[in-house]
Amino acid sequence: MPNNHHIFADGDLRRSEDTLRIDRLDGEPKYLAIENLDSLYLHGQVTFNTRALGLLNEHGVPVHIFGWNDYYRGSYLPKRSHVSGNTVVEQVRTYDDRSRRLGIATDMIAASIHNMRANLRYYNTRGHKFTDVLDELSALKDRAQTESSVESLRGVEALARKAYYGCFDVILRDPFELTRREYNPPSNEANALLSFLNAMTYTTCVSAIRKTALDPTVGFMHEPGERRFTLSLDIADIFKPILADRVMFRLVNRQQLSFDDFESELDGCLLTEVGRATVLDEYEQTLDETVEHPRLSRHVSYKTLVQTDVYSLKKHVLTGEDYHPTERWW
Amino acid sequence: MNENSNDPLEEYITAERDPHAEPIQRITGLMVQYYEVCKRELWFMSRGIDIDRGAANIRRGTHVDETSYRDKRRSFQVNGRIAIDVLDSGDIMEVKVSSKLEEPARLQLLYYLWYLDEILDIEREGVLAYPRERKRERVTLTAENRERIESVLRGVIGTVDRETPPTLEKKPVCEACLYQDLCWM
Ligand code: SF4
Repeated sequence: MPNNHHIFADGDLRRSEDTLRIDRLDGEPKYLAIENLDSLYLHGQVTFNTRALGLLNEHGVPVHIFGWNDYYRGSYLPKRSHVSGNTVVEQVRTYDDRSRRLGIATDMIAASIHNMRANLRYYNTRGHKFTDVLDELSALKDRAQTESSVESLRGVEALARKAYYGCFDVILRDPFELTRREYNPPSNEANALLSFLNAMTYTTCVSAIRKTALDPTVGFMHEPGERRFTLSLDIADIFKPILADRVMFRLVNRQQLSFDDFESELDGCLLTEVGRATVLDEYEQTLDETVEHPRLSRHVSYKTLVQTDVYSLKKHVLTGEDYHPTERWW
Repeated sequence: MNENSNDPLEEYITAERDPHAEPIQRITGLMVQYYEVCKRELWFMSRGIDIDRGAANIRRGTHVDETSYRDKRRSFQVNGRIAIDVLDSGDIMEVKVSSKLEEPARLQLLYYLWYLDEILDIEREGVLAYPRERKRERVTLTAENRERIESVLRGVIGTVDRETPPTLEKKPVCEACLYQDLCWM
């Protein structure tokens, strides 16, 4: 299976025959076989020309760009090999149909809460007492099924996330603490780490959606018109507990990261380059981890799970068969 | 033909015989195969529902072996519907990698013979070949075979006309199906 590749160095990205060539300011040029590339991540200052983009385009490889301060800047999405007007029409129709949209959003929130609970359940059996929050999340999941608007669903999801994040300081080994989830800019180490991992989860979803004919800008839970791809935000919410949060717990609790891997700037806290490499290493390994899939009777990677989740949504949109957002079963 | 007038196959034949009319429904050889293999797959395919082929590392071995008998057969596109290989003898040949999906391959060939006969008034015989297994089989459009393929074609039209896909059922063929990751999710 093709892999993600991360470029940290500053340099120049160009096409050299049928490979990508990266001329780094500080070292030997590096060559990348395009066939083995799922998505390309640029973390440094990289210049590229249209020939390089052309090659990425031909092979359907999306490029995700992060700024110097870890902030996700945006993605360059190659054009699709097969456009399917039909899929987009059905997607927009589904969005526009109040009850169908609500149905999808409800399923998404239920799965998202389920996955939050799964994380807490894991730590509940490992010395922590999360019984109350677990009950609260159960109740919120039930409540989600009875809400009658996407807006009120978003309220339920906010409550769930608040209760869930409230447990992080118990789970996270000292000196990491989230205290309050803060976004822009992240105010401390735990927030910086979580923001970065959430952005990675988001780009993973962007890449998966790109492999279908679905339009990434039309989401069901989030309102279109937000700056980002709202469908990716939807799918990312399902996978954040599985991908971002678990990786964070692991990195912190196994002490793979320390405060030395962060630097405080005037306007917030950031991962250092070394820290970022450690995080991405763990994140990529997690994407490749596999679980036995009961419906497919084979082992699939977490990355494939993101893909099949998007397929399930696409199938729902096109056929009306049930959407099964990924709920951790393993 | 003495079926009643709103027989979908009858309509299909009429439309196909008129070179100027837009076809109501295109039926390709692959669709006939899929009908026999999995009606759900046929439905997906007819709607242009596709999964990323790059991600699918499994391929079903129904594809024509491009290299066998290359010098002895000539390919023709007929009405943009069917792609047939004609041998020097005039027989229509269908080459398959393995006889594992023998019945779908036979039906596809029967469809070609039927199409040539029914639409274009050309009478031909067929050869089904499995070069890897050194196996060959003659296929003729007998009255019985004609009935069989016509009922399959009605089935194809009926399946494609459905609003929703045929219900999911576990089959051995799912294991190697390109639609698996979409179909079962
Ligand atoms: S996975 Fe199985 S049921 Fe689904 S289309 Fe393929 S063969 Fe048919």
